Amino acid sequence: MNAAPALAGYTAAVGFAAPRLLLRAAWPHRAPALAAAVWHALAVSFSIAAALTAYSLAMPAEHLHAGLVGLLHTCGLDVGTGQPDPNTADRLAVGIPAAIGIALVASFTFHVTRARRARTQHREAVDLVGRRSARLCATVLPYDTPAAYCLPGRHPRIVISDAAVRRLTPEQLGAVLEHEKAHIAGRHHLVLAAAEAFYSVFRWLPLARHAREQTALLLEMIADDRALRSHSDEVLATAMYEMAAARTPKGALAAGGPNALIRLKRVLGPRKAPHPALWGSLAAVAATVPLLPLLVACPPGLG
Amino acid sequence: MRRLGELEAEIMDRLWTWNRPATVREIVDDINRTRPVAYTTVMTVTNILYGKGWLLRGKQGRAWLYTPVRSRAAYAAALMEDGLGESKDRPAALVAFVENMSEEEQAALRRALRNAGRQAKADS
Repeated sequence: MNAAPALAGYTAAVGFAAPRLLLRAAWPHRAPALAAAVWHALAVSFSIAAALTAYSLAMPAEHLHAGLVGLLHTCGLDVGTGQPDPNTADRLAVGIPAAIGIALVASFTFHVTRARRARTQHREAVDLVGRRSARLCATVLPYDTPAAYCLPGRHPRIVISDAAVRRLTPEQLGAVLEHEKAHIAGRHHLVLAAAEAFYSVFRWLPLARHAREQTALLLEMIADDRALRSHSDEVLATAMYEMAAARTPKGALAAGGPNALIRLKRVLGPRKAPHPALWGSLAAVAATVPLLPLLVACPPGLG
Repeated sequence: MRRLGELEAEIMDRLWTWNRPATVREIVDDINRTRPVAYTTVMTVTNILYGKGWLLRGKQGRAWLYTPVRSRAAYAAALMEDGLGESKDRPAALVAFVENMSEEEQAALRRALRNAGRQAKADS
């Protein structure tokens, strides 16, 4: 029996239907870290399922269920027990899954390295132009609009405009800095790079597009939650408003979405963590979803 | 030993504050008021800054006169805009506190804040 149709169906479901379900659900904004994990688990699951689909399509007659060796073989790991003289189908069967894996790893490495180079350059310039504030643990740049951002990585910097230091209250400033610190401590740039890498390999895929957008928003929410541990809702919300309202859009470059609004409403609204039972089952889903394609390829009953 | 970057910052700081072309000698003398530093060190680092494109120089007699290419404010604005993602080649991993918004979005933000304030008053 060939698992190709089942695998193709699973791949399509994860790539096209799953993101719709996840976007419509109410819980992701209440448990942003868990939601980010689910998005990434779906991406991993999709990649494995796509690789296995390619494998079983290229190798329709192959016995997929010869125990552990067969399972490893299915995963594209040739353990040396394969046919001694591989024909074209064999090469394709291993080559396509390998290509998917290599493309993902290469894309992630590319994004991480490119972003790191940009950040290093930016940091050196910020160190020359800005003034280091030991009190704020941040670098202050002369700029007439309240704004803040961070440069994560091994030598992290929080950059804040002097207008923000002047116009925000000490509590608001504290909340903003705490938010940026959460990005740095959580290594959110790596999570973003992973979503970005998946998107550049599967650019046409709804899952990739949404995972990239949602990851960015969810990371902001995680950082907001971190700031809310030590600051009140109102302080963070007013700080967000001060910074958002002062920024005048500049022509065509005024991109950006309604994310600040979503975040502000979330900060001001009742934030209830999902029920432990829901949380637990979602965590279980996040943990098992990457393994599902293997089960589809080799149903235990048939193995 | 102090890091190279710190001396670079000290040199740029003085040139921006003075707001006029200056020689390496003047910079060395000014730094020497607070701590000893060798003329050759400052000359080397000033040369590095020139090489990196931060300084312009012109000859006056036998000495080079150095000026910053752009003002501190101009550099700061360019950096801020880059960091906030307003320039086109946005490095993927700079995370801005809030992104750009349209006027309607700002109005919606204001409404949300006002409603929250009213609720807080009603609750108390």
